[in-house]
Amino acid sequence: MERRNFIKISALTGVAATLDACRAPDKQLIRFIPEDNLIPGIATWKPGVCTLCSAGCGLLVRVMQGDAEVVRNGQRGLMKMGLAKKLEGSPQNPVNAGKLCARGQAGLQVLYHPDRITHPIKRTGARGSGEFQEISWDDALKEVVSHLTALESSKAANSLAFLSMPLSGQRHKLIESFLKAYGAPPAVWYEPFDEAVLRQANLLSFGHAALPTFELGRADYIISFGADFLGTWNSPVAQSIGYGEMRRGRPGRRGKFVQVESRMSQTGANADEWIACKPGTEGILALGIAHVILSEKLAPQGAETRAGSQIAGWSAGLPEFTPEAVEKQTGVSAAVITRLAHEITQSGSSAAIVGGAPLAQTNGHFNALAVNALESLVDTGRDQNGNLRPILGFTPEPPLSAAEEPAAPAQASFARLNSFAQSALRGQAGAPQMLMLNEANPIFSAPPATRIGEAIARIPYIVSFGGFIDETSVQADLILPDHAPLESWLDSIPESGSLRSMVSLAPPAVSPLHNTRPMPDVLLGLAQQLGGDVAKALPWTSFEAMLKAALVPLRSHGGSVTAKTDDDFWQSMQTQGGWWSAPAAAGSKSAPATLSSATAAKHAPVALTAPEFAGAAGDFPFCFQPYVSQSFGDGSLAHLPWMQELPDVLTTAMWSSWVEINPKTGERLGIQQGDLVEITSQAGSLRVPAVLSPGIAPDLLAMPVGQGHENFGRFATGRGANPLSILAPVAERETGALAWAATRVKLTRVGGPEQAKLVLFAGGMSGFPHEEEPR
Amino acid sequence: MSHRWGLVVDLDRCTGCEACVVACHAENNVPTAGADQAARGRTMQWIRVERTWEGDFPNPKVRFQPVLCQQCDNAPCEPVCPTYASYHTPEGLNAQVYNRCIGTRFCANACPYTVRSFNFFNPKWEMPLNLQLNPDVSVRSVGIMEKCTFCVQRIKSAEIQAEAEKRELKDGEFTTACAQSCASTALVFGDLNDPNSEVSRLASSNRSTKLLGELGTKPNVTYLERGTWQDAKNS
Repeated sequence: MERRNFIKISALTGVAATLDACRAPDKQLIRFIPEDNLIPGIATWKPGVCTLCSAGCGLLVRVMQGDAEVVRNGQRGLMKMGLAKKLEGSPQNPVNAGKLCARGQAGLQVLYHPDRITHPIKRTGARGSGEFQEISWDDALKEVVSHLTALESSKAANSLAFLSMPLSGQRHKLIESFLKAYGAPPAVWYEPFDEAVLRQANLLSFGHAALPTFELGRADYIISFGADFLGTWNSPVAQSIGYGEMRRGRPGRRGKFVQVESRMSQTGANADEWIACKPGTEGILALGIAHVILSEKLAPQGAETRAGSQIAGWSAGLPEFTPEAVEKQTGVSAAVITRLAHEITQSGSSAAIVGGAPLAQTNGHFNALAVNALESLVDTGRDQNGNLRPILGFTPEPPLSAAEEPAAPAQASFARLNSFAQSALRGQAGAPQMLMLNEANPIFSAPPATRIGEAIARIPYIVSFGGFIDETSVQADLILPDHAPLESWLDSIPESGSLRSMVSLAPPAVSPLHNTRPMPDVLLGLAQQLGGDVAKALPWTSFEAMLKAALVPLRSHGGSVTAKTDDDFWQSMQTQGGWWSAPAAAGSKSAPATLSSATAAKHAPVALTAPEFAGAAGDFPFCFQPYVSQSFGDGSLAHLPWMQELPDVLTTAMWSSWVEINPKTGERLGIQQGDLVEITSQAGSLRVPAVLSPGIAPDLLAMPVGQGHENFGRFATGRGANPLSILAPVAERETGALAWAATRVKLTRVGGPEQAKLVLFAGGMSGFPHEEEPR
Repeated sequence: MSHRWGLVVDLDRCTGCEACVVACHAENNVPTAGADQAARGRTMQWIRVERTWEGDFPNPKVRFQPVLCQQCDNAPCEPVCPTYASYHTPEGLNAQVYNRCIGTRFCANACPYTVRSFNFFNPKWEMPLNLQLNPDVSVRSVGIMEKCTFCVQRIKSAEIQAEAEKRELKDGEFTTACAQSCASTALVFGDLNDPNSEVSRLASSNRSTKLLGELGTKPNVTYLERGTWQDAKNS
C-alpha cells in the first residue's frame, strides 16, 4: 500500500473504548492512513538495544498493531501503528543472553511517557520558568544554524560547548567529529557515577583502561569489595547470569560469595558471608588478605604479578599490612582476615571484585589497585580442560577501523564538568557562548559547589536534544526533542559483559509517536547546512547511512553474521541485533596495552593510603553514602511510574526517599522508623524519612539516589530528597573523580511519620492522613 | 498429553533484583496504584519479593523470597467464592474469571499467601502509557480481584500453536514473563506432568520445599532452599 500523508475523515465506531476510560465515548477523531503494515493481533519481534544503563543489553521488542492518538501536520487524530508491548532480552546477545533487568523492562514507559516533549519548543518566559511554545522544525533548525553560523563568522567556533551523557559507538563519533570539524572543543561527557577510577586502576594493574568482565559462572569463590554487581554495577544482567550459574548451574559445585562493604546492598544480601568494613578502608583489607597469602605462600600461581607490582612493599610481602595492623584500620578482625586468605586460596577458581563506594573515596584509586593486586594473586580460573583462564577478562574492542574507534574519555567526569563550569563562570575568551545539551542533568546530579546551574545560566544560547524537561533541560532556549530509544537507530559497543568483541545494533522498533527527530540525524542535517569542513566531515544524509558505512566493514571479520554482500550483511546484522566475534579461544585474552615509560614513571607503586572525609568528625559524626538506586539508577529513571512503585528490595519503600540508619543510632538519637530527619553536611542539608536498618554501620548513613527532582515530570517532581545535593566537592586524589562517598554529615530528628510520609510496601498501611480520597 | 503447570523458585539463585516484578506488570497490564493508594496498602503486585532480616549489625542476614500465587491443588480461595470466579482448571491452574467476580474479597481473605490483589479503584493509565497495554490480557476494572495466572495467555497461545502444528509442546518453548526475565535463572516454569522437563527435574531436588506446605494447600510452586557456606555440593 502506498504511504501518503493525506487524511481521510471518518466517524469513530467503538475505537474510543480502547482509550483511557475517562474520555467521552462519542468524541470524534479523524483517522489517519496507517504508516505501518501489521496484521492485527499478531506480534512481531524486533531487535533493540537497551540504553537505560551503560551495559548495553540486547532487546527483543514485541510490536503489535494498535490505535494511537497522534498529531500529524498539526492535526490530532487516530492512527493504527505498531506499538511496543513488551521488552525481553535478546537470546542471541552475548551480554545478556535473553535476560533483562527491572529497569530494562521499564524502557517501555520512556517511549509512552505522558511527559515526553512532543514537538520542538522555544522558550517564551524567563530561563528556567518552563514557559515554552511550539515552533516548527524548519524554524527551529533555521534558528540553530543561524547561531552556529554567527559563532563561526565571529571566529568564536571554540565557544560552542556540547554537554552529553556518555555515548559509545557512532553517536559518540558523530558528536566528536562535528565538534572537531566546527572548531569547537571536545564534548563534555558527563555522568554522576562514572568509572574513571576503576579504568585508570585497571590500566595500571592489567593493562586495560576498561571496565572488567568477570566470568562468574566459572568461579568457585568471589570476594567483592563494595561492588553491587547483581544490582547496578557494571553489567548487572551478565553478572547475574554468571552468579546463578556459579551457585547452582554446575552439578556438584556451588560457588561461595563474600561481600565486603559498610552498608548492606542488594548484592551483599546474597552473600554467604557479609563483612562490615570501615568506609574507604576496603583496599587496606584486601592487602591484609594478600599479606597473609604472601607470607604463608598460599598463592598457587606465585606472587610476581603486574597488579601486585603497583603496590609498594609487595615484593617484600606487604610488611605494613599485617592482620593486626589491618584490623585496627578496617574493623575486620585479624582472625577473619587470616581465614579469608586461606579460604580464597583453597577454593578452585577465585576472583576479587571492586566497585561502588570504595572507589568513591579520596583514596579510591588506592583501593582499586589494592583489590586488583589481590585479584591477580587469587584468580586461578580454569576452563573446562583445566587450562589457566582467569575469571577476570577484558572485552576486546570490535575491529572497526582506527578512525571509527572513539577514544576512551581521558578525564574523570567530575573534573571535566568542573572545568566546563569554571570556564563559563569566568566568562573570559573561550567561555562557552552556545551550549548543546544531550541527556545530561548536572544541575540535578552534580554537587552544588560546582555551581553548574550558575554556569549554565551564563551561557547566552542553549539548545537541548533531550526528550524530557528536567532540571537542566528546562534552562534551554530551544528544545529539539529526540526520539525515544525504541524509535531510534541505535548502536552500542558494550565495554564489558561478554568477552566477545561486539557491536549491538538496532533499527527503530516502532514509528515515531510524536513530532520528534533523532538527534544524530538533526546533527547531520545541521552539518549539511553549515557546509564547509563540517559537511565534509559528516557527508551522510542520515544516521542510518553513517551506521551502515561504519559497520558493514565488519563483514570481512567473520563472527556471528555471514553474508555474501554488504547489503545482506547489513540486513542480517540488524535482524540479529548486532555483530559479535566467535567465542574467545581458551586461554586467549586481548593483548594488554603497554604502559609508556612516562606513564609508568608517574605511577610509582602506591603506599597505604587512608581515606579522608569532608567535614570534621566532631561536627559531622556520620559518613554519608548515597548509592545508585536499583529503581532510578543515577536519578534519570525517576520519572517512570513502574520504578516509583517498585518496592526497594531491602526496605520496601515506594514513591519515597529514605535514609538508612542503624537501629542503635536511632535509639540513641530518639529516631523511630518513619520519622522525619534532617541531614546536614558542609554543603547543605535535606529532610528525609528514616528507615532503621541492621545492615548499616552505626556511624554511617545511606540514601538512594534518584528522588528529589524539582522538575522531572508528574511522577518524580517534588518527591523525596536528592542526596547528591549535599555532597561536598571532594575529589579522588589520583583521577579527580568525584568522591561521592567522602562527605560527612550530622543528623537530627525534626518530625514524625505524619510529616515524613514514608510509603512502605511491607508492614500494612501507614498511619498518616491522606488528602485525596480514592476515585 | 495433559499438562500440569508448575514453577520452581531457586532461592539460592534469586538475587532480589525484582526484574520479575516489573516484567509481570508489563505483561499482565497490572495497574500502578500511585503514591496515595500505595500508602493505603493498595499496590497490586502479582509477584513480590519478600525479604527477611535477621540479626544485627555487623552480622545481619537477609533472605529474599519471590512470592506469587501458588496455584494450589487444594486452594483455600476456591471454595469461598460465591460465584465460582475462583476455580481450578484441568491443567492445574487456579483461574480467576473476571466477569464472574463480584468483589466479595473472600478469596483474598482465605489465601494464606496474600497473593491476591483487589482493584479498589478504576485503574488509570495516563495517555499514552495505555499504548503499552498487552492486548492478550484483559484490563480489569474496579471491584475485580486479580492475581498471577502463570501468564495463561502465553500458555493458551503456545497450546493453540502446537495444536495447529499437530505436535506436542516442547519444554522451554515458552515461559512466564517473570521466568523469562530472571537473569540468574531462579525462576523456572514448565510442565510437571512431563518427567523430562526442567521444572520436574528441579522440583524433585532434595532442597525442595513448599511455602506453608503444612497448611495442606498443595502448591504447584516449589521453592529450593538457599544454600549455606558449608555446602560443597548441590543436588
